[in-house]
Amino acid sequence: MTPEELDRQIAEASDPARHPWDGGPAAVSRAKQAILDDLRPVRPLPPDWALAVGFLFLFAIFAGSSALALGMYGVHVLSGWQSVLIFTILAGSAALAAVACVREMRPASGSPLGAAALACAVILFPLVFAAVFHGYGTHDLVKQGIPCLIAGLCVSVPAGLVTGWIIRRGFVLSWSRAGGAAGTLCGLAGLGMLELHCPNLIAIHVILWHVAVVLISGLLGFLVGRALDAVNNR
Amino acid sequence: MVETGSAPAAAPAAELGSLMSGYQQSDQGAAATFIERVSPLLHRYFLARSSDREYAEDLVQETWMRIHKARHTYRSGEPVLPWIFAIARHTGLDNYRKRRRLEAHERQVDVLPEPSAEQPAAGQTAPGIASILRDLPEKQREVLVMLKVLGMTIDEVATATSSSPGSVKQKAHRAYEKLRGILSAGAGMK
Repeated sequence: MTPEELDRQIAEASDPARHPWDGGPAAVSRAKQAILDDLRPVRPLPPDWALAVGFLFLFAIFAGSSALALGMYGVHVLSGWQSVLIFTILAGSAALAAVACVREMRPASGSPLGAAALACAVILFPLVFAAVFHGYGTHDLVKQGIPCLIAGLCVSVPAGLVTGWIIRRGFVLSWSRAGGAAGTLCGLAGLGMLELHCPNLIAIHVILWHVAVVLISGLLGFLVGRALDAVNNR
Repeated sequence: MVETGSAPAAAPAAELGSLMSGYQQSDQGAAATFIERVSPLLHRYFLARSSDREYAEDLVQETWMRIHKARHTYRSGEPVLPWIFAIARHTGLDNYRKRRRLEAHERQVDVLPEPSAEQPAAGQTAPGIASILRDLPEKQREVLVMLKVLGMTIDEVATATSSSPGSVKQKAHRAYEKLRGILSAGAGMK
């Protein structure tokens, strides 16, 4: 069978005359009437770049203000190049997560990036921390780690709620994807706060407990989104 | 072979864009014309994926309700069809999941035999494009419907399906290869 024959068969099978559109079946006419009855002018969403900058601003506000409240002990013990490296990568990851959030707000706005942002963060940061910090002793690992994990999540959860509220301004097709993207961005805010606040530079502590904030937030966001999808589709 | 434009769109893209902008500004005439122009496309899209006409009409109705809620997310000047079909494909997907869940629930309660989704039952239309494409994987079928039935371009399909143009071309190529095999085998048997 030649491509032309195949094209012809498809064209014949999908010929509108086979399934004529009779000016609109009752169901569609009802939808049309409902739409026309509810017609009000709407304000289009702000441009994507403005939304992305807004999400980045939110990330910086949550990370910065919570670190200020808890004390900026971490940033003082970091050397210049360590700070530049860590905070540059943090800003880049947050920008990726912010774009992922924006893409979830509008249908047909590009490939989803939430999973990529989460994967990038949980792979890249352990590598960077392993290169920058030293020490893999497990003494007091859990005792020192749990407070960092809790503090990080205490920043990321409220940040996630605010981010979700903003994302809701758009039209979300998949809340599980949107939740994953928002969770990653807010987990990065928690990580940012920890890098500014926590003076513990032992590599295993930072890799395990600080990065866990991003991972847990991303997964939590995904699970909450999935529950919302299930409720919406009930 | 994977080139597009074989099926005429209901209205030029620019015209649909301006109607959509009017719809956003609550212009009754623009909204009504927009619905009239796009509904046949949505109907064909859903019919090509399920030969159940009533089901397709329900999906068109539900898609319109979603488009209405999402109309503020359309950005003036951008192609309308990818935006519409991104919503339509999710409406179809959500309904498919809902239907499967309900069917599973009903089977648990009534222990009834599973109805075949592919066979047209009483009240359904004769098999058309849906029956030709039914053996294709869902993603390949979707791409082929958008390209060949709706006449969308590769870039538009890529935007609507949140994938890259390369991926769309690859899916369309594979769909063609598979369809050619299926239809040739069918012709040989006759």
